[in-house]
This record gives sequence, C-alpha cells and structure tokens, in this order.
Amino acid sequence: MTATTTPGRPSAAAPPPRPRPLLTRRRRRALLPWALLAPGLAVLGGLLLYPLGRVLWLSVQDYGLDNILSGETDFNGLENYAELLSDGYLWRVALPNTALFAVVAVGATVVFGTLVALLLASLRPLARTAVISCVMIAWAMPAVTGTYVWVWIFDVDRGIVRQGLEAAGVLGPDGLNWFADRLLFYGIVTLNIVHHGFPFVAVTVLAGLLTVPRELYEAALIDGAGAWQRFRHVTLPVLRPVFAVVTILSTIWDFKVFAQVFLMPGGDGANREVLNLGVWSYLQGIVQRDYGSGAAVAVLLTLLLLAITLVYLRSLFRDEELR
Amino acid sequence: MTRRTRWMLGRALAVAALLAFTLFPAYFMVASSLASSRSVTGTEALLPAEPTLDNYRYALTEAGFLTYLGNSLLVAVVTVAGSALLALLAAVAVSRFRFRLRTTVLVMVLVVQMVPLEALVIPLFLQASSLGMLNSLLGLSVVYIALSLPFAIWMLRGFTAAVPAEVEEAAYIDGASWPRMFWSVLLPLVAPGLVATGIFSFITAWNEFLIAFAFMDDADTYTVAVGLRQFFGQNTTDWGAMMAASTIITVPVMLFFLFVQRGLVSGLVQGAVKG
Repeated sequence: MTATTTPGRPSAAAPPPRPRPLLTRRRRRALLPWALLAPGLAVLGGLLLYPLGRVLWLSVQDYGLDNILSGETDFNGLENYAELLSDGYLWRVALPNTALFAVVAVGATVVFGTLVALLLASLRPLARTAVISCVMIAWAMPAVTGTYVWVWIFDVDRGIVRQGLEAAGVLGPDGLNWFADRLLFYGIVTLNIVHHGFPFVAVTVLAGLLTVPRELYEAALIDGAGAWQRFRHVTLPVLRPVFAVVTILSTIWDFKVFAQVFLMPGGDGANREVLNLGVWSYLQGIVQRDYGSGAAVAVLLTLLLLAITLVYLRSLFRDEELR
Repeated sequence: MTRRTRWMLGRALAVAALLAFTLFPAYFMVASSLASSRSVTGTEALLPAEPTLDNYRYALTEAGFLTYLGNSLLVAVVTVAGSALLALLAAVAVSRFRFRLRTTVLVMVLVVQMVPLEALVIPLFLQASSLGMLNSLLGLSVVYIALSLPFAIWMLRGFTAAVPAEVEEAAYIDGASWPRMFWSVLLPLVAPGLVATGIFSFITAWNEFLIAFAFMDDADTYTVAVGLRQFFGQNTTDWGAMMAASTIITVPVMLFFLFVQRGLVSGLVQGAVKG
C-alpha cells in the first residue's frame, strides 16, 4: 500500500511535515540486496574484471620491464596480434596443442565417463556407492600431485612403464624419451586429464540416467530395441542437456590446462614443441617479461573460451525444462 | 556358461579394471612414498619391501614442507573465511530478493567464472608487483577469494533459496528486523551449505599452482603446490620424497572431497543450470 501517506492532500490544519527520513523503509529494502552484493562484486570487479580489461589493454602495447619502472605506456596498436597471428609457431604448435588436444581429451573423457556411468547404473546401490567413492579419489587428486604421479609412472629412467616395456622386450636398453615426443607427451597429458576428469562426467551422467523413466526403456524393449538402440534412441535424447553440460564444462577445463603441461619434463619451456597457449602466454609474459605479447596470447585463449562459453550459455538457457 | 553368468563375469571384470585404473595412481603415490631408498625404481616402489617413513621426515624437515604446509594452511583459511562471508551475502541477495538486474548479476558471475586464470596471471602479477604484494601470503589469499567466489555464490545460492519464505516471514511477524532474521533464522539454516562451500574454497586455494608460482619467488612463502617442484630435477628426481610430499598434500583434499562430493556435483550441474 503506497497511498497511506497521501502526500498531495492539502490541509491547512496539518502540522508542519516532519522531515522525511533519508531512506524510507521501502527504499532501504530496495537497496539492501545491492548492499549485500557490493563486497562480492567489488572483489570480482577488482580482481577478475579489472585484470581482464587490463590484459586487453596490455595486448595492444609494447609493454616490458622498463614500462613498469617508468610507468609509461607504449601503444603499438594491433602489432602484437599481427605478430602472433603471422607466427607459424601459433598455427603449427600452440593452437593444435590447445584445441586439438582439448577435442581429443574431451571426447575421451565424455565417452569413458559415460561408459562408467552405464556400468555404475547396472550395479546394486551398495556396490554402486562403494565404486563411486573409489572413483572420487581420482577426481580429488590435486592436479599438481596427480601430474607428478603420472610423470613418475612414465619416468624415462626408472619408471614402472619403462621397466615393464623393457621386461616385455618392447623397449631396448636405451629406452625412449617419450616426453620429448610431442604426440607421446600429449598422450600422457590426455591420460592424466581423462583420469582426473572422468569422475565428474560419470557421476553427472549417472545422476541423469537414474532420472530416465523406466517406462521408456520398457517401451523400447517391447519394440525390440537392442542395448545400443535403447542408448541411442532413449538415453541420449533424454540426457541431451546433461551431455551438453558435461561436454562444454570439460571443454572449458581442457582448453586451459596449465599445471598438467607445465610440470611435465620439458613443459616449462625447455621443449617448445609441447607448449599450449596458456603455458606460452605465461612464458612470454611472466618469464620473458614481454607482457604485451604474452597478453595477446592470453586474449586469444580467452576469446576461444568465450566462444565456447556462449555456446554453453545458449544450450543452458534454451532448455526450458532445465531452469 | 549361461548368458547371465557371462554378463555378471564381464561386469565384474569391468568394475575391477575401472577400480585398478582409478586407484592405481593414488596407490602408487603412497607406495612410493614408503620406499626406503632414495633411488627407488618403479617396480621396487610398487610393493615397498621395507616400508619406512624416512621420506616423510626428509620432506617435512629438511625440504621445508612444514613451512609450506603452514603457508598453504594460512592462505586456505583466509580464503575460506573471506569467500564464505562474501558469497553468503551475495547469495542471500540474489536468492531472497527480487530486484532489477538480478539475472544479469547471476549470469555475469557465471561468465566471470569462465575467465581463464592464464589470462589473469599477467595483469594480476603486475598489479601485485606495483602494490608490493608479490611474495605476500595475504595478497595471494585475496586473489584466491576472488577465484573461488563465483562458484561459491552459485553453490550457496541453492542453499539460501531452499529456505522457505514462510520461515522468514514468521521471523518478521515475531518482530525480528532483517539483520536479526538473517542472523537467527537464515544463517543456521544455510550452515551446511557454508561448510560445503568453505571446503570447496579450501580445495581451490590448496591446489592452485599458477598464481602461486608466479607470485612467490621466495622459498619462505611457497605454498605446497609450488614447493613440490623443488624435488623435480632436470636429470634426477627424488621420487621417494616427492611422493611423500604429494601424499601429505593429497590426503586432506581427499578427505574433504569425499565429504562434499554430493554438493560439488549438484553445485556444478544444478547451480549452473537453474536460471
């Protein structure tokens, strides 16, 4: 009720109006959510949005150590981008190592995770809970320690894989430095990523599987559908939104792997053949102190991710039933 | 064999293979950490003949992991406290009030979460360097608060939205002001959510490598994730000590993780899905 105060009614006998409080109860109520949001938004703005703007700003400058000291800017237009995009290294090494790797890793993670989910769905509840707890251990492993464990498993001199292959007679006494080979290097990274990433897919898809109405499968069974057909024509369409979410989240994660590459032998810049966009940007910016061109690489990576995020948001907000 | 036993057998084999693949790295990490000799090989590490805790002693004392653990703990505690407080306020705002731009704020928080850390590390490094915050554990914590905040807001939002409006109204009828209602009604009801969110923030801060590696060049301020790198040599690596330190880092994360896994999954999926 807004009319209780009836401000417009003229009345000669009215006492002089009391000074209105600066903030009425109503206005206070309207401002309260913003007051609650303010600290969080300030932190997000200052530490995520402002740096994001700054990286754009840096990417159009020739910004080095001397610029930090002098505080002067050295605007050079799109030169960093021109240099970056005309660099054969980007197209031959960094971009394939980022994008192709992400496609392969996401595909492997989603397919394997789905298979695990189907396996879990066929177990009895008690066994299922036990297996899920074990699967969670792979997810819980921090990226840093997980990466070092994989490096240790594949250690070139004394690792268990090398010893195993040597004992089996596949590998000669000279051994093989698989970390030096780009494909094998990324094979190990993929193994690491799939091992770390499949539990999320498995648990999420399982949650979806358990919501699929049983009648749909029974109907398909009566129609004579085999296991694959039931998956293809019942599970997949019903769980399409779930698959969209896990695929796109995995893509976003796999595009920006850093520690899993950087901590591998040669991944810290010693072997330029194995760098991806994130590591390259770090080496250019923080290590070489060429902040401008490092920022340009970072912006390129961000634009790629932004495109994927837009697809993500579209797929989320298109599916009315998910809201 | 009947079809059914074949199916049961196949399924049992699949479960066994899955468990072996899943658990092997964790098992191998712990087994290697118990090795008695420094130059342990892979096959020797698989089943330690004489398990000792030498590697743990070495990692904690001589390699300085006690310091790194202290640093990481401090950073994680500040991160958890900061992000829980900010996320709670923000989550209450977006879930218990209707106001203009509410959806915009929510979508913006979601989008900000997608920004790759790799894009932020250069400007954050320059910012920290100009503020003299490099090698500062507090500076690192503030960055981690920002990093964990978007997800924390989305996750807590589910918990604050679940408190029925009638409970809130009952408090007003009893004469409670908004702050009183917040403190005595809302807060106790979302406490489990706060615990889950806090654990998530803890894991973020504890595991983070990139920013910590860029910010810290003084060994006294290393976090555990950064400190681990010192065992990694160009030619030889002290795998026993490395795996002991890795185990020390991993165990708290795993315990916490098993505790929050339910919330984590639903937070990632539903939190991100509900508009």
